[in-house]
Amino acid sequence: MLKNYLLIAWRIALQRKLFTVINLLCISLTLLVLLVVTALLENTFSPTGVEGKSPRMLQIVTMVSLNEEKGNFRHGPLGYKVITDYIKPLPSAELVAAVSMPESTAVYQQGRITDLLLRRADAAYWQILDFEVLAGRVPNAEDVAAGRFVLVLNQSTATQLFGEQSAVGQLLNVGGQQFTVIGVVADVLQLNSFADMWAPVSTYPSSDYQHQLWGNFSALILARSAADFPALRQELATAIDGFQFDDPVKWQEVNIWADSKLEFFARMLLQNQKQPDSGAASLLLLISLLMLLFMLLPALNLVNLNTGRMLERSTEIGVRKAFGASRQQLIWQFLIENLLLCSIGGLLGLVMAAGTLELIEQSGVIPYLQVEINLMVFMLGMVISMVFGLLSGIIPAWRIAKLDPVHALKGARR
Amino acid sequence: MIKLSAISKNYQTDKVQTRALDNINLQVRAGEFVSIMGPSGCGKSTLLNIIGLLDRPASGQIEINGQLLGKYSDSQVAKLRNQTFGFIFQSFHLINELRVIDNVELPLLYRKMPAAERRAKAKAALEKVGLTARMEHFPNQLSGGQQQRVAIARAMVGEPQILLADEPTGNLDSQMGAEVMSQLLALNQAGTTIVMVTHNEQEAKHSNRIVRVFDGQLVQ
Repeated sequence: MLKNYLLIAWRIALQRKLFTVINLLCISLTLLVLLVVTALLENTFSPTGVEGKSPRMLQIVTMVSLNEEKGNFRHGPLGYKVITDYIKPLPSAELVAAVSMPESTAVYQQGRITDLLLRRADAAYWQILDFEVLAGRVPNAEDVAAGRFVLVLNQSTATQLFGEQSAVGQLLNVGGQQFTVIGVVADVLQLNSFADMWAPVSTYPSSDYQHQLWGNFSALILARSAADFPALRQELATAIDGFQFDDPVKWQEVNIWADSKLEFFARMLLQNQKQPDSGAASLLLLISLLMLLFMLLPALNLVNLNTGRMLERSTEIGVRKAFGASRQQLIWQFLIENLLLCSIGGLLGLVMAAGTLELIEQSGVIPYLQVEINLMVFMLGMVISMVFGLLSGIIPAWRIAKLDPVHALKGARR
Repeated sequence: MIKLSAISKNYQTDKVQTRALDNINLQVRAGEFVSIMGPSGCGKSTLLNIIGLLDRPASGQIEINGQLLGKYSDSQVAKLRNQTFGFIFQSFHLINELRVIDNVELPLLYRKMPAAERRAKAKAALEKVGLTARMEHFPNQLSGGQQQRVAIARAMVGEPQILLADEPTGNLDSQMGAEVMSQLLALNQAGTTIVMVTHNEQEAKHSNRIVRVFDGQLVQ
């Protein structure tokens, strides 16, 4: 039975080329967009590579200071002092790292000036994140404590600055300071690791940063397990209860939220800066609804196309009914046909998505992007194809299977 | 075998209601060859479709093999069609996307039967109509007479008790028509009950009984 269904589906697909092409394009282009988006989202949020420990990692990227009576509001990155005084002492944290946001910095080299993104970090940063070291080493606690002018470059920057030569051991003038390159790491594009080069936090030209509540830092908190997150958040809330402002007249209250990556993005997008709930659940629901809507529109289009295509075959339906096909069997037949078409469309969409991601990577539109269709995205793609097949097949199949055999045999279109 | 009691059927077209069948009472015994004759539009095909459960009457009762068909579900009616009836249509109604052998196998697809057995039965049916050499062809590669023989093989492959033929020679020339009729007679002699709609008096003479329909009513 199944073989017969597949056989006829294949022959009909070949005979009705225009319909097949429109159908396949409709499915594969929709899937292409969905797969590219999911691959990019997966690259952003899934715990792989350099941020492989992200399931037990929280980040604090910004803080909010308020004085509602005076209408004062300030929202921005943390000062280093906030991290050392309030976050590093949290008892449930295994490690807390302080790292600056990527800052555009001029690099002087043989009469050439290049603008590159520099982060300055403490030693814990290198312990929390799993950079792939390609040459040399990354800074350790001694380098940071001693304020050594050592520098780590990513692979693209090393090649850009030194070509075929080994970058390790080379001297480099960064923002007027002389650094020695001690390591090269693989290119990465992740929230907390994205940069061209890294130096110890202690290499700032001035030590003022140590005393600032407002600055350019974010904190990474590594918990022993994700189960410690509630305790960590509670400890953080307790710690900032006694927050000491430089100007207590101007500021009365501070909000600092330790978020997972998804929560961080949700908080930024939904502007939930004043409340503990980041809105991640709402964001996920919104994304799911948008994806469903995005799939629903082509599915509705396919319902129409499929109804027309199936009605053209009303005589076949009449014959099958006359020879004993039940309504249920006919619905299955048309669903299988549709699922076959959608699976082919799905595979096409996957190939096109892989090609598109490759093109995005090669074009450099998103620097250091390394994304590919992995098994999870592939499976998701196939599930999406099947949902497509069901959505666009079940209504026309049900309508067509309802036809009386005698009307179907006469080719009635009702 | 078949008993129709007080069968009526109306067709609604726009605002006009047409009485296609009016109080039909008909009985067909096992092994009979009955021809239904009458002018175009008199309700012959409607009667045949109601006998074959392809259409539902507006009122009246149908009894098949002593079983009164009341409120049968879709799947029960489908099973009955599959196991009791074989259909031959004037315009063959073969599925052009399927090979001859796959077309003949069609009724067996809706029975729980292994693929090898289905294939063997379909081959045997094609052998009976002399078309084994054409089983890998597609219907549109065959002549009209050959297509109708494929349709006969398809109708017979499930060994139904009753064969319903709606003008089976209507689209064929006289020589091909004669071939098809001889196949039907052979099947009837082998014990199959046949009900055939025809305009052709010569063909009707081969049957045991002729039933005439006029304006939706039996006239003898």
